[in-house]
Amino acid sequence: MLKVQFNKKRRELNVSVSLELEQGEALGLFGASGAGKSTVLACIAGIEEPDEGLIELEKLRLFPPSLPLHKRPVGYLTQDPGLFPHLSVKENICFGIPRNQGQGKQQLDWIATLRERLRLGPLWNAPAALISAGQARRVGLARMLARKPPLLLLDEPFAGLDRQLVRELIDDLVFWNRTIGFSMIAVDHQAEVLRRLCPRQAVVLEQGQIIQRGTWEELCSSPGTPLLRSLLAPL
Amino acid sequence: MRIERRWLSRIGSAVFAAALLYPFTAFFARIGPWQWGPEVRDPALASVRVSLLLTSLAMVIIVVVGTPVAAYIVRCSSRERLVWQALLLIPILLPPLALGILLTLAFGPYGSVGAWLEHYGIVMTNSATAFVTTQVYVGMGYYVLGAVAALDAVPYMLQKHAALLGLTPVKVFFRVTLPLSRLGLAVALSLAWVRAVGEFGAVVVTAYYPSGMPVQLWVNLQSFGLPAVMPLLVVFLAIALPFPWLIHVLAQRRRHA
Repeated sequence: MLKVQFNKKRRELNVSVSLELEQGEALGLFGASGAGKSTVLACIAGIEEPDEGLIELEKLRLFPPSLPLHKRPVGYLTQDPGLFPHLSVKENICFGIPRNQGQGKQQLDWIATLRERLRLGPLWNAPAALISAGQARRVGLARMLARKPPLLLLDEPFAGLDRQLVRELIDDLVFWNRTIGFSMIAVDHQAEVLRRLCPRQAVVLEQGQIIQRGTWEELCSSPGTPLLRSLLAPL
Repeated sequence: MRIERRWLSRIGSAVFAAALLYPFTAFFARIGPWQWGPEVRDPALASVRVSLLLTSLAMVIIVVVGTPVAAYIVRCSSRERLVWQALLLIPILLPPLALGILLTLAFGPYGSVGAWLEHYGIVMTNSATAFVTTQVYVGMGYYVLGAVAALDAVPYMLQKHAALLGLTPVKVFFRVTLPLSRLGLAVALSLAWVRAVGEFGAVVVTAYYPSGMPVQLWVNLQSFGLPAVMPLLVVFLAIALPFPWLIHVLAQRRRHA
């Protein structure tokens, strides 16, 4: 189980959240731009440090004290997948796998599955610096999943991609969420993306505070604020 | 009218380039036959050996000490970084002769550190140690400031991503930061190299012996005149110029790629 409860003052915004997530569950973090969604993920990932609070994943204390990034069993994917431009696609995907595990049959099978499912075969030996933005997003996803972290943090990873690719990537993530059983917190300001990725539950953030939580049906039927109502309304 | 302007600017640029390269015509100056007899050759070759070996050693020290310092400065607050940059500028901005005198007094028998070192048999004037120490002081500021710029150019989030993929900070440095900044670090090192290998003002005070190439050039000029200087000057330029020149050209190509 993931337990998150912290405060973080950030310029004009005071982000204060309290969340719990069972292993294998997917939670959508929804809200307008600047509501503090990315800060929540960055604090769980360890990119930023909360001012106070507690973050625990199973029995592992992530904060306080702040656990070093390399010891955090989390996968973190943002709009910019952060591929290493001096490495090939294959080297990027295998980057975080310890050498002694990299040659194991299970690990090799898993990498082969990712390669096939995300259609990375033709790119496999290409320099990461030369692939398109959509391809880079697929490589970033594969790199994050290669280590099978128990918790995925997705910060608008599909922004700017075409609908077909977004649909495919979401289907892949949902499939692996069911089969592998990792937990997932996803952030987006597009309700339809988030609803497809995390169909069961969502939390709504406004001005750094959680203003509503529940199923998507509950949020749509009785949105707590006018802003949420307008965010959920079709264009 | 437009074409004329273009040609005018081309001619202007060509004149400028010719003026920059004009000093090299000195190799064809009528100064009589170049001297390379044993009285010139032996000390000249010894000075080449001294310059190459000891400057290389100084560069190793500069890289080993300067790179972690640069990595630290990159992560400092902007105020602390300003302090570091101001500090690193001091040996760069000091007139070389003044630096030489300061080093001689500080590390010589009159300085507390110099007296202590001499007690352990380490002589800090007119010795290989003095030569290397002077070059480290001369080149360190150039290397560290250049290295800070090179490390700064590596996206911060890439290093965070690498850490989140399970790499310790040391591994992140060697697998991500270093490969992505190596050309910038090489440029910084080449600046330190060219500054150190060509240093005369400070070295002539701290380490007249063992003579490096610049000091030997001066000695040849004083003792035998210009014809005895030219052969060593060719060797000097062949050693000092190509490495930094090539690195800078490569860096510019990468920047424009």
